[in-house]
Amino acid sequence: MLDHPDPKTQPPRGVPILELRGLEKRYVGTHALKPADLVFHAGEIHAIVGENGAGKSTLIKLLTGVIPRTSGEVFWQGQPVALASPTEAMALGINAVHQEVVLCRHLSVAANMFLGEEKVRYGLMQRRRMEADAQQILHDLGFDLPADVLLGDLTIGQQQLIAAARAAIRGTRFLIFDEPTAYLTRREAAQLFALIRRLEKDGVTIVYISHRMEEVFELATRVSVLRDGTLVGTRTIGQTNETELIAMMINRSIEQIYHKEHYTPGRPILETTGLSGAGFEDISITVREGEIVGLYGLIGAGRSEFVTTVFGRHKRSAGTIKWDGKPVDIRSERDAIDLGIALAPESRRDQGLCLNLPVGLNLNLPIYERLSNGGLLYGGGEAEAADRQIAGLRIKTPTRSALASSLSGGNQQKIVVGKWLNHGAKLFIFDEPTVGVDVGTKAEIYRLFSDLLRQGAGIILISSYLPEAYELSDTLHVFRRGRLVSSHGYHSVSHEEILARAIGV
Amino acid sequence: MTDVNIKTQSRRRGQIQFLFGLTLLGLLLLLWAILAFATPNFWSTNNISNLLRQGSMTAILAIGQTFVIITGGIDLSVGAIVGFTSVVAAMLLEAGFPIWAACLITLGIGVAIGLFHGFGIVRLGLPPFIITLATLTSLRGIGLLMTNGATISITNDTFTAFSRADFLGVPSLFWMVILVGVPSYVFLHHSRWGRYLFSVGSNAEAARLSGVNVRRMIYLAYTLSALCASFVGLLLAARIGIGNATQAEGWELQAIASSVIGGTSLFGAVGSIHGPLLGAFILATINNGANLLNVNSFWQRIITGVLIIVIVYFDQLRRRGRS
Repeated sequence: MLDHPDPKTQPPRGVPILELRGLEKRYVGTHALKPADLVFHAGEIHAIVGENGAGKSTLIKLLTGVIPRTSGEVFWQGQPVALASPTEAMALGINAVHQEVVLCRHLSVAANMFLGEEKVRYGLMQRRRMEADAQQILHDLGFDLPADVLLGDLTIGQQQLIAAARAAIRGTRFLIFDEPTAYLTRREAAQLFALIRRLEKDGVTIVYISHRMEEVFELATRVSVLRDGTLVGTRTIGQTNETELIAMMINRSIEQIYHKEHYTPGRPILETTGLSGAGFEDISITVREGEIVGLYGLIGAGRSEFVTTVFGRHKRSAGTIKWDGKPVDIRSERDAIDLGIALAPESRRDQGLCLNLPVGLNLNLPIYERLSNGGLLYGGGEAEAADRQIAGLRIKTPTRSALASSLSGGNQQKIVVGKWLNHGAKLFIFDEPTVGVDVGTKAEIYRLFSDLLRQGAGIILISSYLPEAYELSDTLHVFRRGRLVSSHGYHSVSHEEILARAIGV
Repeated sequence: MTDVNIKTQSRRRGQIQFLFGLTLLGLLLLLWAILAFATPNFWSTNNISNLLRQGSMTAILAIGQTFVIITGGIDLSVGAIVGFTSVVAAMLLEAGFPIWAACLITLGIGVAIGLFHGFGIVRLGLPPFIITLATLTSLRGIGLLMTNGATISITNDTFTAFSRADFLGVPSLFWMVILVGVPSYVFLHHSRWGRYLFSVGSNAEAARLSGVNVRRMIYLAYTLSALCASFVGLLLAARIGIGNATQAEGWELQAIASSVIGGTSLFGAVGSIHGPLLGAFILATINNGANLLNVNSFWQRIITGVLIIVIVYFDQLRRRGRS
């Protein structure tokens, strides 16, 4: 095998290999990682758990040199290191396998495994030799995967295995897995665990980031918990249990930001019965006027797939949808919008905003039909509507003609959510509406929810942040692996109970 | 980011954009001033009329092209459409059709070509570059087949006289720019479809989720572009008095260049009507001036190329300053 870690430079098992002292990361307006002290021991499998937004990805990015730290020190085998670039991290032997595969889908598996280190003779690439070698490596690792097919022809889970194998053969001494099993089948996950154990045996230090408690307890030797950017504590796996970890993960001081008004629910707006489609199965929920229906679960639990299917984006394979008591067939987004469904998508950059267009245009986009007369816009109605929205939503922008890209993330999010206010939709679907926004903006977005409910609308709220889903939902449905596993009334069970259901303890 | 910060940034951007508009107009006026001093003939009525006639057809093509580029697409076929529709118009007129009928049918064919482009992009999922490249080459072929490679002379004098006519001292061809430009301006900047075009070019996914019928807007943009091109086909047939499928070679590049010089972004979602018009007349002026100054016509192409690089580079700077 090429570039195998040189045993001479491999520190003995148990010796500190990477040490963080007061490592800290601030962005404008957010404190992504508060000063953290942590020691990783050579050859251990160190799990890191925490809710979404707890600072796990910030920590990974700091360790792999993707972002610079604000302050603090990092020691690699006792020597201070800058970790200023991914190249520097890789040269030390620090690598990461990301949740999303960052490889070339249009190249073969072998080409991907040797990317940047192709085997060459007389200036020509030795494709056959690379394929044979790659196949041998995969075989040794116990992966039953062909080396000569295009990477894109494999499933996401299989690609993940290739990414892991690629990292394994590159002299890696410190390997970070970021929620690697999110897209894996049970069998693929088992293969991955075998690989991880093998790496551990070779003396590689593993950082394993996951939501899944059973995996943590199966693999890890130690576990650290992050919560709201704070490293809460580190435990040896034998001296802790799931209940303690979950308690550490949850922020008990629920702030006053969860402004919640209760309205008497009215008639059902949307009812799904046994709805199935790609990524979810047999989902039956009802949304009534004046209520928030929360969908809680881990990333990849099938919630987004479910709501986009309701919104007409994907085809349903089974089940029925009733709107206002009558069965409907929603075949396109247009059908959904015409019925009165509005969707504020998860990724505001990719799906929610026209970034290089003015704020006013973004706000008015759903209602131009109403603002125009015979298609023409005149008389300042457009400007007036935009200004009213900007004032009502308290969007911080100099004018309505400023570009959406010039606004802060929180104000952008107010546009994504707020543009539906004037549209007159009956059902609002908010997919992770407060990801990456600060507490103040969160509170304003929640106030918007109340405005909508007062007008008699219903809301489906997808949130992976438990306090948010817990405090705002009149009914909270918990999803796990594409299925609805439990439903709860407002505050009817504890946080721990819900997290346990979502994780599947 | 603080409020003040955003505010100054935005004000600066406003100033820059305003300056950019002025720069183009200034560039055009500067060129005219230089040529007026450098050559005795430039400022003659005859030459100015000629310049306006030359620029008019590119200007109309550039307007159509701009609709397409704003959606993030490209229409390479407009030159071929001009040549093809000049043949159609000539054949119809020679077959004895009245002028109004010949014009309507020709424009109808333009619409049909545009719809076909929309179909190829929306239904067949072909990239705009490919589908319009395909029609570019095949329309030339169809035009040549229909005429057996020959040129059809137009004997209808009323039709050809139009291109030489003046109205209020301004060439009728330039009036056609106004006829196309004013409704285009209203459409792009004062109608909801204009807003939709920009939103599709900026983020088609966000537009669709906001209820914009993205497919219909794609059809619309390419249809408008082809309609403008077939209109130019009529004007060209009137101007040179013939129908020939090989006419207007390379005009699609002139149209794209005019649009880009006029501040349209090839990445979509940025563009105007007045910009491409200025762009088209800047190109026409360079052409005209080079002829008057006896500059080797090969140089004209080089100058055009350099100008495109310089202007688009400044446009990139402007964009970078924005984000």
